[in-house]
Amino acid sequence: MSESRTQLTEMADGLFAELRGHGFDAIWPRLEEAGFGLLLLPEANGGFGGDFGDLAAVMRLAGFHALAAPLGEHILTQWLLSKGGLAGEGFTALAGGLSTPVPWGRHASKVLVPVGGELFLASGAVTEGASPVGESRDTIVFDMDSAESLDIEADPLGLIAFLRVCQTAGTLDAALALAVDYCSQRVQFGRTLSQFQAVQHSIALLASEAAAVNCAATGVAEAIDRGDAAFEIAAAKLRTNTAIKIGCALAHQVHGAIGFTQEYPLNELTRRMMGWRSEGGNDSYWSARIGGQAIAWGSEGLWEELTRRTDPRS
Amino acid sequence: MHQLLPVRSELRISRYMQSFAHYAFKAPLNAQQIRRELRAFLSEHLPQGDPALKANCWMNFDPQFSRELGKAGYIGMLWPKEYGGHERDPLERYIVLEELLAASAPVGGHWIADRQTGPLILRFGTEEQRRKYLPGMAAGEIYACIGLSEPNSGSDLASVRTSARKTDDGWLINGQKIWTSGAHHSHVMLALVRSEQGSERQRGLSQFLIDLDTPGITIRPIVDMFGGHHFNEVFFEDALIPHGALIGTEGEGWKQATSELALERSGPERYLSSHALLAELIDCVGPEADPLLVATIGRLVSDMWTLRQMSMSVAAKLAAGQDPMVEASIVKDLGCTFEQDLPVAVQAVVDADLADDSTLMRMMAVLLQAAPSFSLRGGTREVLRGIIARGLGLR
Repeated sequence: MSESRTQLTEMADGLFAELRGHGFDAIWPRLEEAGFGLLLLPEANGGFGGDFGDLAAVMRLAGFHALAAPLGEHILTQWLLSKGGLAGEGFTALAGGLSTPVPWGRHASKVLVPVGGELFLASGAVTEGASPVGESRDTIVFDMDSAESLDIEADPLGLIAFLRVCQTAGTLDAALALAVDYCSQRVQFGRTLSQFQAVQHSIALLASEAAAVNCAATGVAEAIDRGDAAFEIAAAKLRTNTAIKIGCALAHQVHGAIGFTQEYPLNELTRRMMGWRSEGGNDSYWSARIGGQAIAWGSEGLWEELTRRTDPRS
Repeated sequence: MHQLLPVRSELRISRYMQSFAHYAFKAPLNAQQIRRELRAFLSEHLPQGDPALKANCWMNFDPQFSRELGKAGYIGMLWPKEYGGHERDPLERYIVLEELLAASAPVGGHWIADRQTGPLILRFGTEEQRRKYLPGMAAGEIYACIGLSEPNSGSDLASVRTSARKTDDGWLINGQKIWTSGAHHSHVMLALVRSEQGSERQRGLSQFLIDLDTPGITIRPIVDMFGGHHFNEVFFEDALIPHGALIGTEGEGWKQATSELALERSGPERYLSSHALLAELIDCVGPEADPLLVATIGRLVSDMWTLRQMSMSVAAKLAAGQDPMVEASIVKDLGCTFEQDLPVAVQAVVDADLADDSTLMRMMAVLLQAAPSFSLRGGTREVLRGIIARGLGLR
């Protein structure tokens, strides 16, 4: 890990831990103050000069600490606006499509929204909605007449998928940490739950799913930093959706009834992840794309692509 | 209730994964060149047999192919040149392994010697042992098998009872090994044996390099449930092996044997050995494929991509001189689950009869039947999950 990334994650880790359990209004000024919006902007423009590996590390921590704010969306829209030569005011939201619910849309000055492969900075009439965990997911009827076009290539749905993969990596690790702690303390039949082999194996499987998403997050961040990452985003989000399905079930199972209470913090993690499976493309969306791509490449082409993408360019 | 709140998930730990240390796989600059050269080699030397037999390729024995591979410098790649090796980089070797598996090359002959036995001889062996075995192994001509399991000692390896008694003439071996893959093709067995009479569990065990042409050794096949012969029983009746057959330190066998297990579990064969079936499936479908079939391919490819990321991280950790025991166990467990799911997933979406003689159906039939062994060989699923649990501090 680079020295700047270590400093970044140390700062983010401390801040997000402190902001745990707070709402948007309390969190947002602190994130603004910390300057996260500058993360991906080049140093020449007064930015942090970070890459997507840095963003992945920050979003993993946001997931770990159940940060209830659109931090990743903010970092990405600042970056997209800067590339498109436009300025945003305060928080600019990111929409996966014209009709998908917009994370924290009600708090945004404007929204970056893709229409027919083109990216627009737009605003519109907001109908408030909520994700399972109660985070704002607002439906917006955009006024495209007043929208400004950004002349850049971007796939906001894929970018949101990337954020959710990274957040899930941290969130599953947080659920794992809770599971390990709880099962090491809770005594039944005269021994801790962690001493039961059946429980050990469930937690081992939860750890494996968490590991899969963490590796997928790292892999997809590297791919974005290299350039074309459409394939990796698809693969990572699809695998993440599976991990959420398995991981949430296991985390709850080993916690027993206590994990199902509002008071115990597991639900802050699992309910977030349950919503993320639908965001940034669901299983059907990505499996059709990646399957179609694999068939178009053919088996030899698929292997050549997989390896070419991780090899240094020669 | 407050006592239930997280204790260990405080600041310090949250920046790191709980169970899987990620290491960046810095592919060598010549990676593409290595792949090009190897693909050219394979197009010339891959046997043109029945394509359905390509599935489960790392169990396929083909001495001619192993010799050609050795001649071309793809075996013993990390070993010193003076022992027939090629002093290449561990990640260069990883690239070669994944290319061989993706092409479903029949690597079963030399695989164990290259992966496990050779490195162990290099690490613990005497000069004499190195000279005796390594050049032939690197040439793809000397094959090895691993003698761990016994009739009453499967996952519980520390209950090994096969004995070695020191005499003036050498070590006298008595007992029986079982489930020994490839013993019938191998020249030498690396065996874990009780060398101290009356010792118990992990104590008093030593490792020996036992030449399988030694008088007193009988190898009998155990035919697997669908007619294959990979397993064997190996009997030792007063088999006398020289003093120089002891490898490493007398009594340190347990530590030595477990140190090689990370090598056994960390390779790309744990998710790529059935790649032939996925490849065949992809190449069988036309542009008008059924959406369910396309989605199935998408899910399988996404799993494979993720496992490759994980496997590369393990390889990078190993190359950095660290022990990836927990990470390797995670990748092997997930890899086996993927490989067991693969033929079932194909069966679920391809409308054909198992009696169909297409390559796809025959490959699928082979893997459906081979799949139960995936989570048994090289450490059962239960053993692996125990290792992961220990890594998490649960035991």
